[in-house]
Amino acid sequence: MRKIFLILFFWSMVNTAYAEIDLPFGIRHYDIGQAKNFELEDVDGEKFSLDETRGQWVFLHFWASWCGPCRQEMPTIQKLIELMSADKLKFVLVNMAEDEDEIFTFMSTIDIEIDSLLDSDGLVTEAWKPRGLPTTFLINPQGQVKYQAIGGRDWTQPEYIKFLRFLLKPAP
Amino acid sequence: MFSVLPVLLVVSSLQANQPIILTQKAVEVELTPRSPNQMGAFYEARGFPKEVRAVLAKQCYITIGILNKSKQTLWFDLKDWTFSVDGKKIKRQHRDYWQARWKEMGLAQSKRSTFRWTLIPEHLDYLPGEKEGGNIILPFTEKMITVDAKFATGENKQGEPVFIHYDKLYCAQDKPE
Repeated sequence: MRKIFLILFFWSMVNTAYAEIDLPFGIRHYDIGQAKNFELEDVDGEKFSLDETRGQWVFLHFWASWCGPCRQEMPTIQKLIELMSADKLKFVLVNMAEDEDEIFTFMSTIDIEIDSLLDSDGLVTEAWKPRGLPTTFLINPQGQVKYQAIGGRDWTQPEYIKFLRFLLKPAP
Repeated sequence: MFSVLPVLLVVSSLQANQPIILTQKAVEVELTPRSPNQMGAFYEARGFPKEVRAVLAKQCYITIGILNKSKQTLWFDLKDWTFSVDGKKIKRQHRDYWQARWKEMGLAQSKRSTFRWTLIPEHLDYLPGEKEGGNIILPFTEKMITVDAKFATGENKQGEPVFIHYDKLYCAQDKPE
């Protein structure tokens, strides 16, 4: 009986911990199951497969340089990457259907350096069906999509950093 | 939150028309007519071929932004939007129409994707405080357009619907040089 009580106690603690996540504005639960794998190259021609990120939380971000909110948001993502460099969060950026020149021009205009994958024909983005651009998906270490952040935001605001760090905390 | 119009194009380098803002207790709808030159410049910069731009130059572009001001879910569905001129409905072309047309014209997949992402999705749900938008394309007219829209509300769309009516929407035109 005591064993059952302890199991129930720990189970309720685990659930309470997750239930206490306050979703920051613009972030939604998005439990759609297993993340669709894709393979793309980055601007240096390095191959990347989403499946290789298993075992850590992934910040998967779809963007294009012609989208106003994407342009505003990108510097805050660079800052977030710096702020979370000690955390085990994998940042994966996917540019939607632009060529390297367009990306380099944009990056140099706003003076940032972030590696991005090239979804040259836009088909990976189509398959992922973000609501719009920009969109960020948060994928758990088991490879399941858990959250969707719609539109752009200042990711360096404390509520977003707190939320991301909460996700990265090992389960009690 | 600066976000908020995913898919809103960067056309700021060109003089934009003033947005028409329709405000109600539960929703704010922003309608911004974009001229053929504004849109043409955007697509030209993205490498869209001349033939496609020629088709696009004959259309009427409206950028829609919707803000849910209520405390419940607001449902946007373009099926519930009608546009009319002199009492007669005009047909907004569905995004699938454009995809098929571009494919027929041999437009590259990457360009078709870009085009698709500039359009507002056919339906969206807005949580309290959310704002999103994108473009719709209507047949060009020099006359005033009447827009009637209905939004369902509530988690299961069971709430009181919200209606929008505006009869002075117009297609932006470029000034002669």
